[in-house]
Amino acid sequence: MTTPRHERPPATIYEPQLVTVVDTVDETADTRTLRLEFKDTGLRESFSFRAGQFGEYSAFGAGEATLCIASPPTRAGAIECTFKAVGKVTTALRELNVGDTMGFRGPYGNWFPVDEWRGKDLVFVAGGIGLAPMRCVIWNVLDRRDEFGAVTIVYGARSVADLVYKRELKQWAERDDVTMVTTVDPGGETADWDGRVGFVPAVLDEVAPAGGDAVAVVCGPPVMIKFTFPVLEKLGFTDDDVFTTLEMRMKCGVGKCGRCNIGPVYVCKDGPVFTATQLKALPAEY
Amino acid sequence: MSERPREDPVFLAADALDGLAGDLIAAGTEVVGPARADEPASPAAAAAAAAAAAAGLDKDVLEYRAVSRAADLALGPGMPRLSLKGLYLPQNEALFAWRQRGSDIEIEPAPTGARTRVVLGAKPCDAAALAIVDDVMNWDYADALWNGRREATTVFVLACGVEDDSCFCAAVGLAPDGSRGADGLLTPVEGGWLVEATSEKGAALVAAHAARFGAASAERREQAAAFRRTASERVATHLEIDADSVRDWIATHFDDPLLAALGVRCNGCGACASVCPTCHCFDIVEESDGLGHGTRRRCWDTCQSHKFTLHASGHNPRADQNARFRQRLNHKFAIYPLRFGEVLCTGCGRCARACHAGQDLVEILGAIDVAARRPDTVDVQSPETPARTVGAAAPASER
Repeated sequence: MTTPRHERPPATIYEPQLVTVVDTVDETADTRTLRLEFKDTGLRESFSFRAGQFGEYSAFGAGEATLCIASPPTRAGAIECTFKAVGKVTTALRELNVGDTMGFRGPYGNWFPVDEWRGKDLVFVAGGIGLAPMRCVIWNVLDRRDEFGAVTIVYGARSVADLVYKRELKQWAERDDVTMVTTVDPGGETADWDGRVGFVPAVLDEVAPAGGDAVAVVCGPPVMIKFTFPVLEKLGFTDDDVFTTLEMRMKCGVGKCGRCNIGPVYVCKDGPVFTATQLKALPAEY
Repeated sequence: MSERPREDPVFLAADALDGLAGDLIAAGTEVVGPARADEPASPAAAAAAAAAAAAGLDKDVLEYRAVSRAADLALGPGMPRLSLKGLYLPQNEALFAWRQRGSDIEIEPAPTGARTRVVLGAKPCDAAALAIVDDVMNWDYADALWNGRREATTVFVLACGVEDDSCFCAAVGLAPDGSRGADGLLTPVEGGWLVEATSEKGAALVAAHAARFGAASAERREQAAAFRRTASERVATHLEIDADSVRDWIATHFDDPLLAALGVRCNGCGACASVCPTCHCFDIVEESDGLGHGTRRRCWDTCQSHKFTLHASGHNPRADQNARFRQRLNHKFAIYPLRFGEVLCTGCGRCARACHAGQDLVEILGAIDVAARRPDTVDVQSPETPARTVGAAAPASER
């Protein structure tokens, strides 16, 4: 990563950079994607990050929310975040329109070791809004498509209405260099649904991508992760080749405020990306 | 282990202290030290204080605060109810202010220039906490607000005579005459204090006010040495643990029933974190100042609170108080040592004194130490409390 060049560096590590909302996309009834451009022109040109890193997003008047950067590092100029309006800050972020100003601090945390995956098959397993952090990696990989082996994406949500990034799901499905499997939980299908019906771990078991010289990236609700790990193990994935990203409540994002501890780990500094090996060594406090 | 002072000691006579404080204040420096707390804030507190006085139970409540003359300083026994922490990490402070202008936002940064301050007579355990917390405040990202105040403040600690049997600085590698985190050390001797500068900043202060100091006689040096020896011997009897064993045990016994048993009395009020010199966890909150302008503030927070880890979804990774108490022990005695090489505790004992449920780190660390070093002797239902049997401390009332 390059060192960012600010026109006016922040006075403290807690002061956000101002960004302009340049686009909004309603992914579902309560989930929105914002596209953000740095106001600081020096930073707009020099800002860089790695797939998997996160930031603190400010809605002035409401506070900060911790969200991954959902756009890939291979597409510079703007960053995107996707969130469900569930709390005070995300509800306020959802009120913003194109042209409005918000704040961003980051990038923080570690990243997916995409460069180490060269030549390997990649399997992405996501549930619900868990596709947001993975979308960054997926586009990062697809933008460098010839460096990797087979790419399989298994994505599910509770219902058709809860699927996020619908336009991109279609783009991925149309590519002949991606195996795209979309599923909804039983009862969540519509009359014209042409994807699968079933829970993500079961569908993954049916799709059965081979482990071995392959890497799996898993992100979704805790119950999905819990039942996906044994399936991956059965398919031959070792715990060192299974990656996930943890979401914990955070405030500072820079290892000071103390709230994202899980056992010996500070998720903001040691994570948010962990292998299954690392995750299994942690106390179950996430 | 106390850090041995570098400079030759000098003597500060009791009646020269006011001149020194006056010089500092006249030069625009804020002088802070332990002093009688201001009058009780509420009618109920005033009534309680009056009742205590009538029963002969009143005791000076001390706090670190700015004074205008040295006579207000209480440079003797007595533990200020809060540590020095608030001078560096205020209970709440502005991180920046913002104002909306149309669709744009203007940010007014927090002032990072700290005012020059001299602390006279801090507890050694409170100064040591500053050096310990420096680690996390500079972990890859430097906290300019903390660091600015650290640089602008000169701290002279007062060798401690040991307050009561909740003190256990020696068990966590510190000493009642330690100068860690401080710039100088005062030790009470006949007619004043023996003064040793222990940093460049401390030496500069002594040099700049040389006229206020005199030569330290051999007799006074001997008095100081005797005072320190007595205090060190006394506090050493309160608790003896092997911090490395405690660290390793906590780090590897997350689900041990002993930890749950030790946490059972805690009801999560968070008083321990407020009075703790090393607890530094904070919240960041938004404070609206009106329509279209506001302030982002940070304020003290505690892992003992249910909301500390509560997700927006309603999921809480640390859902019960045992888990939260375990986190407190874990952070102080395993996570921090594993990360930064030292325990996040100075043995000041404030948490034990403040806890209305009787949670006592002296007992708790003693029980964990026993579990770590002699695992077969632990009775989980009734954790052994070796500290109280090993320690030959007299009841506080007899001192």
